[in-house]
Amino acid sequence: MEKMTFQQVNEVIYKKVLDNGLEVYVLPKKGFRKAYATFTTKYGSIDLSFISNGEKIEVPEGIAHFLEHKMFEEEEGDVFNTFAIHGAQANAFTSFDRTAYLFSSTTDIQENIETLIDFVQNPYFTDENVEKEKGIIAQEIQMYQDNPDWQLYFGLIKSLYQKHPVQIDIAGTVDSIYKITKEQLYQCYNTFYHPSNMVLFIVGNIEPEETINRVENNQKNKTFQKKPMIERIYPAEPKENNQNLKEQKLAVAIPKVLVGFKDLSVGLTGKEFIKRELATALLLEMLFGQSSIFFEELTTKGLIDNSFSFEYQIENNYAFTLIGGNSINPEQLINELKEEILKHQTDQTSLKELFERSKRKKIGELLKKLNYPEYIANQFTRYLFNKANLFDILPTMEEITLMDIQDRLQEFDPNRIAISIVRS
Amino acid sequence: MRDLFVTNTVNQVRIHTLKTDKFKTNTIVVNMAYSLEEETATKLALLPHVLIRGSKSFPSYKKINEELDLLYGSSIDSFVFKRGEKQVVQFTLEVPNEKYLKETEPLLINAIRLLGDIIANPNIENNAFQEEIVESEKKRLENRINGILDNKIQYAEQKMIESMCQNEKYHIPANGFLKDIKQINGQNLFDFYQDWIRQAVIDIFAIGEFDDQPFKDSIEFTFKSVSRLETKIPPNEIDVEITEEKIVIDELEINQGKLNIGLRTYTSIQDDDYYSLLMYNGVLGGFSHSKLFVNVREKASLAYYASSRLDSHKGILIIQTGIEIDKFEQAVEIIKKQLQILKEGEITQKEQEQTKSILISQMREITDRPRTWIDFTYHSVLSKIDRSIEDVIEGIEKTTIEDIVAQANKVKLDTIYFLRDKQKEGK
Repeated sequence: MEKMTFQQVNEVIYKKVLDNGLEVYVLPKKGFRKAYATFTTKYGSIDLSFISNGEKIEVPEGIAHFLEHKMFEEEEGDVFNTFAIHGAQANAFTSFDRTAYLFSSTTDIQENIETLIDFVQNPYFTDENVEKEKGIIAQEIQMYQDNPDWQLYFGLIKSLYQKHPVQIDIAGTVDSIYKITKEQLYQCYNTFYHPSNMVLFIVGNIEPEETINRVENNQKNKTFQKKPMIERIYPAEPKENNQNLKEQKLAVAIPKVLVGFKDLSVGLTGKEFIKRELATALLLEMLFGQSSIFFEELTTKGLIDNSFSFEYQIENNYAFTLIGGNSINPEQLINELKEEILKHQTDQTSLKELFERSKRKKIGELLKKLNYPEYIANQFTRYLFNKANLFDILPTMEEITLMDIQDRLQEFDPNRIAISIVRS
Repeated sequence: MRDLFVTNTVNQVRIHTLKTDKFKTNTIVVNMAYSLEEETATKLALLPHVLIRGSKSFPSYKKINEELDLLYGSSIDSFVFKRGEKQVVQFTLEVPNEKYLKETEPLLINAIRLLGDIIANPNIENNAFQEEIVESEKKRLENRINGILDNKIQYAEQKMIESMCQNEKYHIPANGFLKDIKQINGQNLFDFYQDWIRQAVIDIFAIGEFDDQPFKDSIEFTFKSVSRLETKIPPNEIDVEITEEKIVIDELEINQGKLNIGLRTYTSIQDDDYYSLLMYNGVLGGFSHSKLFVNVREKASLAYYASSRLDSHKGILIIQTGIEIDKFEQAVEIIKKQLQILKEGEITQKEQEQTKSILISQMREITDRPRTWIDFTYHSVLSKIDRSIEDVIEGIEKTTIEDIVAQANKVKLDTIYFLRDKQKEGK
């Protein structure tokens, strides 16, 4: 068992890599009543094409999410029942790159960890139960079709990306999920749910040594296939946007708009990954944050409201920036955003004043997030999959210089933006 | 172990503090409750948004946010919501604890001064709020009211409540009414503000590591020039008779039908059988093992979500699900059947145990988040029933299947609301 201490934030993590490759992390949080655990596979909606044991495989869109739904069913019934008896609420989510199974509970924590591992390591798919799930997922897809913010967000990704599967809806389409078979689910399961492709993270009211021992014993009593060689195939993404503008018609009160920038070079890991993520987030805060001149002016003009936000999403093989929100005049907002970027690119004096202040804000925000076990478990795993460490964020933030910000700013090309608009 | 807030009253402002080193931040919540009334709801919904645009010492939104950035991303959020027939304005302040920073300044006290200035020392001219700011916030309030349309689940719920409670104050939305926005100006809003700051029932909560005296002093300082009055807010209307089951159908351009069913439970947070109500809601639709999830989703594959939730102050229970539009009758039938079998006592010991375990676990984890901890305590403060987390756990433990069945037999269905797609005309 390895011990990692993060003095500034007063946290300690215990780690062990088991013989079968499973990585286990435990972070005890003093004074907390609950434990929160995530059991995550590095497998998400973008993994639609891969080579498994020498064979090239293509699977329907939305299969990772479908698999997540089906994991909860065991031969004896729904695993929610077992969790409920032990006072745990379980859930799961599928993102572009990960599928995470989780629970939160204040009692019977060791039993609940065991249930979590056991149900994820025990797939039970039949033709009948796969068929039955299709109606439920179709309703989930339809719910998202009526959600304008989700459609706006996906509209932007679809206009940014020509080839990369990040532009495919996580849940797939009603058509694609109706094509999914039991055999395909097992194939994906056997490829991506091997312990060596997974991470168990437990945070909260938990004793590290006992926990790691129990997990280790649980794994020793099971047999696993030999570690599969996984090669994921992602098509090369051209520099050009897929389309400059995607407009959708949905019942909304005021129009919604997002503009986006696609990163042209990707593949960062470790500290470089963190540094780029932080520099971009800091830059966006400086230009468009609530204490920026831009925010004040556009609020006065009535062009933005509290929904205005910005985000940088980065993973190993794709990254993009998005900015926007509700606006009575999307076209004018787009022009104002472009001009603001150009203005700062030509005259960087105002960046100097903003730098230290915005940096303080970002540091404080990170501390706040460390109050939440959910944030710690999910983000620690995410950084791990990008060969980085969540607890390097604070020291890395302190190292970022104004020059890093200035360099990053020059990358934004206002002539290459992609736009997504939703209006009635 | 009892985790309890210590309460002090200063100038008719109740201050509840709790010390813990569990968190990396200090959290302050200011709740200002006012009776929910047709005439004042819209002004009240507008107020915090005008206040947060600038105070005497920090006369613009930008100035306020610059100060917050300097206080290491301390954040002030304002929010207006209903608790039964009360309209509550909430300001939340979250401040990083300086012991984790290379900082020696006491961030919390500076942040409270800022928040206090926003609440009690507004940026006024000639006894009125600035017209320009009021006008821009009026526009934004209008957008917020219209904007509920964007979230179809919330939209359907609000529409259901409007028809179910049309003769009770509860039908008034937390954001007020579009029709009343027009007549608001800087002058009449400031007049209302002066009543509100004196009469609102104010509860201030603080969780974290801080020194008591400077904290209390800064609160006292905030309200020193306000002559606060003792106010009684009228009780919630709970025992409303139902004459007939209402069915309301609305149309909108949507793909998925949203079904909302409103029920009256005739039990509230103030009653002794409140625990039976919590258990009833849990068995019916609170969780993934509950009857609604199992029967509407897992067995009939009709929906992705199917659940129920309570407004425990008003004694109302709302069932929600999203379904294929032509499955309306089938879904209503399945849901009604669940209500019926609960009345007949069809509850297994397993269902009872599962619901108890999860409810108790949820109660225990309340103290792991500053906001939920404060929220739980505010429920007690508002309802005037002093229940600790342990009291609720004990109450849930003791609830029998017979208690749940007794509650089931009190429940009456009031309104079935269905939001569906637009039907073609002339057919």
